[in-house]
Amino acid sequence: MAAVTIDSLLQNPTLVFRPKAKVLLKPPRSLDCSRNRKLPLSRGSCLCSFNPRRTIHVVRASSSETALIGNFDISSSDDILYKDIFPVKRIEKVEGKFFIRLDRSKDQHDWQLTVGCSLPGKWILHWGVSYLGDSGSEWDQPPKGMRPPGSIPIKDYAIETPLKKLSEGDIFHEVKIDFNPISEIAAIHFVLKDEETGAWYQHRGMDFKVPLVDYLEDDGNIVGAKRGFGVWSGALQQFSNVLLKSEASHADSQNNSIESKDSKNKNRCLEGFYEEQSIVKEVSVGNLVSVAVRKSPETGKVIVCLETDIPGDVVVHWGVCRDDAKIWEIPAAPYPPETTVFKNKALRTLLQPKATGNRSGALFTLDEEHFGFLFVLKLDENTWLKFKENDFYVPLLGTSSVPGQYGQSDSTSEEISSKSYTDGIINEIRNLVSGLSSEKSQKTKKKEVQESILQEIEQLAAEAYSIFRSSITTVPDEVVSETETTKPAVKISSGTGTGFEILCQGFNWESHKSGRWYMELKEKASEISSLGFTVIWLPPPTESVSPEGYMPKDLYNLNSRYGTIDELKELVKSLHEVGMKVLGDVVLNHRCAHFKNQNGVWNIFGGRLNWDDRAVVADDPHFQGRGNKSSGDNFHAAPNIDHSQEFVRKDLKEWLGWLREEIGYDGWRLDFVRGFWGGYVKDYFEASGPYFAVGEYWDSLSYTYGEMDHNQDSHRQRIVDWINATNGTAGAFDVTTKGILHSALERCEYWRLSDQKGKPPGVVGWWPSRAVTFIENHDTGSTQGHWRFPGGKEMQGYAYILTHPGTPAVFYDHIFSHHRSEIASLISVRNRNGIHCRSLVKIVKAERDVYAAIIDEKVAMKIGPGYYEPPSGSQRWSLALEGRDYKVWETS
Amino acid sequence: MEVSVIRSCSQATNLKTELGFKDSRFSFGKFNEKLFFRKPNSVSFQSPLRRGKSGLRITAQAAQSDPLPKSKSSTKSKTLNRVRLFAGLPLDVVSGGTVNQFRAISAGLKALKLLGLEGVELPIWWGVVEHESMGKYDWSGYLTIAEMVRKAGLKLHVTLCFHASSQPKIPLPEWVLDIGKTKSNIFFKDRAGKPYRGCLSLAVDELAVLNGKTPMQVYQDFCESFKSAFSAFIGSTIMGITMGLGPDGELRYPSHRGFAKSDTVPGAGEFQCYDKNMLHLLKQHAEACGKPKWGLGGPHDAPANSELPTANTFFKDHGGSWESPYGDFFLSWYSSQLIAHGDRLLSLASSVFSDSAVNIFGKVPLMHSWHGTRSHPSELTAGFYNTATRKGYEEVAEMFARNSCKIILPGMDQSDKYQLKESLSSPESLLAEIGTACNKHGVGISGQNSTVGAPDGLKQIKKNMLSENLNDSFIFQRIGAQFFAPEHFPLFIEFVRKLNQPELHSGNLPTKEGTTTATDSVHTRSNLSIHMQSA
Repeated sequence: MAAVTIDSLLQNPTLVFRPKAKVLLKPPRSLDCSRNRKLPLSRGSCLCSFNPRRTIHVVRASSSETALIGNFDISSSDDILYKDIFPVKRIEKVEGKFFIRLDRSKDQHDWQLTVGCSLPGKWILHWGVSYLGDSGSEWDQPPKGMRPPGSIPIKDYAIETPLKKLSEGDIFHEVKIDFNPISEIAAIHFVLKDEETGAWYQHRGMDFKVPLVDYLEDDGNIVGAKRGFGVWSGALQQFSNVLLKSEASHADSQNNSIESKDSKNKNRCLEGFYEEQSIVKEVSVGNLVSVAVRKSPETGKVIVCLETDIPGDVVVHWGVCRDDAKIWEIPAAPYPPETTVFKNKALRTLLQPKATGNRSGALFTLDEEHFGFLFVLKLDENTWLKFKENDFYVPLLGTSSVPGQYGQSDSTSEEISSKSYTDGIINEIRNLVSGLSSEKSQKTKKKEVQESILQEIEQLAAEAYSIFRSSITTVPDEVVSETETTKPAVKISSGTGTGFEILCQGFNWESHKSGRWYMELKEKASEISSLGFTVIWLPPPTESVSPEGYMPKDLYNLNSRYGTIDELKELVKSLHEVGMKVLGDVVLNHRCAHFKNQNGVWNIFGGRLNWDDRAVVADDPHFQGRGNKSSGDNFHAAPNIDHSQEFVRKDLKEWLGWLREEIGYDGWRLDFVRGFWGGYVKDYFEASGPYFAVGEYWDSLSYTYGEMDHNQDSHRQRIVDWINATNGTAGAFDVTTKGILHSALERCEYWRLSDQKGKPPGVVGWWPSRAVTFIENHDTGSTQGHWRFPGGKEMQGYAYILTHPGTPAVFYDHIFSHHRSEIASLISVRNRNGIHCRSLVKIVKAERDVYAAIIDEKVAMKIGPGYYEPPSGSQRWSLALEGRDYKVWETS
Repeated sequence: MEVSVIRSCSQATNLKTELGFKDSRFSFGKFNEKLFFRKPNSVSFQSPLRRGKSGLRITAQAAQSDPLPKSKSSTKSKTLNRVRLFAGLPLDVVSGGTVNQFRAISAGLKALKLLGLEGVELPIWWGVVEHESMGKYDWSGYLTIAEMVRKAGLKLHVTLCFHASSQPKIPLPEWVLDIGKTKSNIFFKDRAGKPYRGCLSLAVDELAVLNGKTPMQVYQDFCESFKSAFSAFIGSTIMGITMGLGPDGELRYPSHRGFAKSDTVPGAGEFQCYDKNMLHLLKQHAEACGKPKWGLGGPHDAPANSELPTANTFFKDHGGSWESPYGDFFLSWYSSQLIAHGDRLLSLASSVFSDSAVNIFGKVPLMHSWHGTRSHPSELTAGFYNTATRKGYEEVAEMFARNSCKIILPGMDQSDKYQLKESLSSPESLLAEIGTACNKHGVGISGQNSTVGAPDGLKQIKKNMLSENLNDSFIFQRIGAQFFAPEHFPLFIEFVRKLNQPELHSGNLPTKEGTTTATDSVHTRSNLSIHMQSA
């Protein structure tokens, strides 16, 4: 899935496809055998060679949207009929430098190889070494001593080392590799990778190779090696020459490149060199297009004023329309200067540079009978900017208010159409397919590969699904609701509550022990409420085989280890009195049976819901159910309920209704929702009308080599899919965010907290209003500790979730601990600034050791040991709260 | 000096990284075996199991007094080893000359290829290609798809749809509907005279009702145009072509209009012999038989479309009119008209594509409701004279065999136990019945699932794929949001994986080599289920 999206970023790549290296080991002399084999791409990726000489716009990659909006000075007179700012995203090529330097380190004994890059990005050096006498071009892992700190081994043949800026002011990200030339190492090989975009930079289709052999031969203390070496050296010479020749025309390589030294110098001494080359990266850049429509009081004509900060020549391809059908027409003259007619269908106007700033614009004067103004922007022959794959549309008539359909800001809303994109996909498929089927199938099954291919299939399917789905029904997208909720009006829905909820998990794994938890909690009700919580989640109330309540038996028996049904009612009443809503923890996935069937299997239920084995899913052999197959995953410790049975659903709906009525629960926390289809959940919620509801969809994140992947899109997609299946009637615990926080905090990799699009990487980045963020619960933490949040860093976690959109949930153990006052302060900052589940978050920093974001332009926060201060601009920030490795500011 | 950039994206990259590196570490090639299958590009069966089966198949053939030439039976045992799996593309994958949801299709094709599917099925609509006016064809969108499929390394099964679709809405060509506005008798009509605009009446096949041309000529021109437009693909990428034969592409009358929801009992269906031309043919036939009074209309005592069979006396289990001489007269005529129609279209297709290396298919419906009654009302109204006392599918299979066409049977996902009891429905036994007829005439069978879906559908499909109800290919319907949905797609993956490793329940265990043949030869009956022999 990911490979496909990235391709869309390519505008005019020259696609070069190489068949997968099928070569068995060739003699070392052969140049070919080094080609591409070390490169981590074989199937399905494309190689794109960019010619660095192409003329390109060089822009700064970061642009602050707020600043730009401020800059637009569209006429502010009263007669404005319409005004909107459309964000657009384009792909820019950014040019930078990249150097390789080989020199002696300070002590003059060791040598040092430095690789640096001046472009912004998360640069990783992917490298390895080859030893003397190695045949072929296999890499090996460098000896431990050679690995700079922060290096990560990639299996047993390469390591990855991040490039770092030595200080804030540096232009270059650098990595230095120290090595002792008196070793068996023949060469260092590397390629450069940008983690931000997933792009690999290599050397003319091969790895970069820095040979060290000359020195070694000179030193050569092993006779055998020396003889073998003669061959090698010759090969190398040849190799270098080839390289040199083909490079001469391209590169501004300086005279002291090793290769040239090599060929000149026969003394075979390792020489230092410095080589620099240009490197081009594609980054997506946000720009704005602002449009204002006003009526000229003198002429009665309508004037459309269009402005943009997109650099370079921008052509507006435009027309007008008569009605909603938006059929393009050409209006009557006059037209702005530099306008041409395009195929009698549209007009093209070149935007004129403005006197101030780097903006350009045009004024279009139109007769007032036109219904709307349509346009797209053309940057060059192949690059068009559209609005959500449609024309930009500006209403001209009756435009006093603009419905939310247009003009919301969403950075994903436009795409650049580009022909190369489709070619990319097709070629990619070809590549993939030829790679797969050209090989003879063999009997040996590599499970891992199967898994990888499976994963890839799943990702492709997820992509196809998301497109098909979006074209069928309009998913209740955040785009709409985000604009809605900036208004103070509060809409309550079961997925979000008011949108300003803060959840307290009101128990832990030990709460059942006292036998009177309801009474204990009742005493704390006003205290919890005063901390700022609006919703509390109570433990599962039913009779249960396990004391904690998650193995329910008779659903209508609410006497549990936490207390009696009357105590529960009393507790709920007191919680309501202090203004909190109460969530019941309902376990719908499974239920423990009362009786055995004739085979001695426990699958016959008793109590008021005396179901038989038809209520049990058929695909769990332990329980011999006679229902249909499960619509989800199975929980193996108890009979899983078959929700596809009408009678089961009817009974459960009735039960939920009873809990609402009898106990006074306001909503639900649903246990193990992976076990059944979200569509049933929707059914239950529509029947029981909760005020707030959240489901526990907990599955594993993606890991590669035991290390968590940066991109957890497939994980959050599964959660989002579940929410979708419930039709948005429920939120879901944002397990993705918790997982990413673990890695970011534990390993000091705060860059993980921004996804490829610069949004939060968890569910909260995609569907904030339905994400219930948390850092710990009774399973992950408490006395179970299945997946405990990194110790000592809990407050960083809370500083993140309590300032960010989503509905944050705080775990009981943390409230009643030394964190209490800090948590309380964070909650009050959240409430004071009106941060809600749909607040807008702007990530301003996501680097190795610091993450910083500004939320709703009202609250700024940073976590991590690194430095960050909010900008000292028009807004004045004051520090609201500070703790270990985190800070929170608010505007004053 | 030049810097090359390789793009791909982080997660995918990681995956590829791993594969790439492995490739270089281990000896190349050992590794890129097909994901689940031993044979590339196919869903193949475990060889031990199949060895037993094909052995069985041959002995069975030999024991039957079947006129099949020996050579044919050996090719047949070959195809038995290999049921190729296809997935249908969305019905509206092309509209107005453009490909819809291009990216989704691209990703989907890639996923299916990785999963090891043989290919995809592409419905090509008369109403899309020849939309504007007669003889003006626009193949562009479909050519794009064919190219995508070819590049993806998949095969293509094309379905030529001479009918309309209601969901998504794809009507017949505009100019045809225009003609129909004044001449409603080009459509089938029920007793109330209500026309069915989903396809042309078979009675006009040879009448020059379309601007001076007969529908057969129009269909032929369409096929010829298709052949020349896709000449680069036919025989290489396009390996199969399904000829549309009637409503929903199926060989039948539109007897069940506005097919009811799954939770209500379907009606008996209604005879569709009331358009002017059908009535005329009936009259002629009756006169030729010396029973002119029988030719004045359809059965007077048949229930209406949505009524239960019991609503009138025609379908009564005992003593119903269907068993009377009149019943036999009418039903013979009614079903023979349908078979003749199928024969015309299939021989047309066979001759157009005779010099191309493609298989021609036709689809026969699975009218399984009321199969438990003696009269099989649903089958009768749909045009299949198949009752408790008469094997009606023999003629159908024979017609397919005559044209060297293969048959597509839908409803392979339907199992008896999920049918409404009241409808006396039995998809499994009907399928077996048709399967038997086909096997007898050597007609290859390709399966499809029903569009409505069925509980445990994949399980049932798998069961059918392992039986001899199916010996050519299976076309899974259809790709779309639901297909790739997280509720469904993992099940599908599982399904495909398991096809390679059929559960070896006791009846299906492969035996040790050598011992099979002896036991196999005992089984010469045509009943399919007995192949689950124990050994």
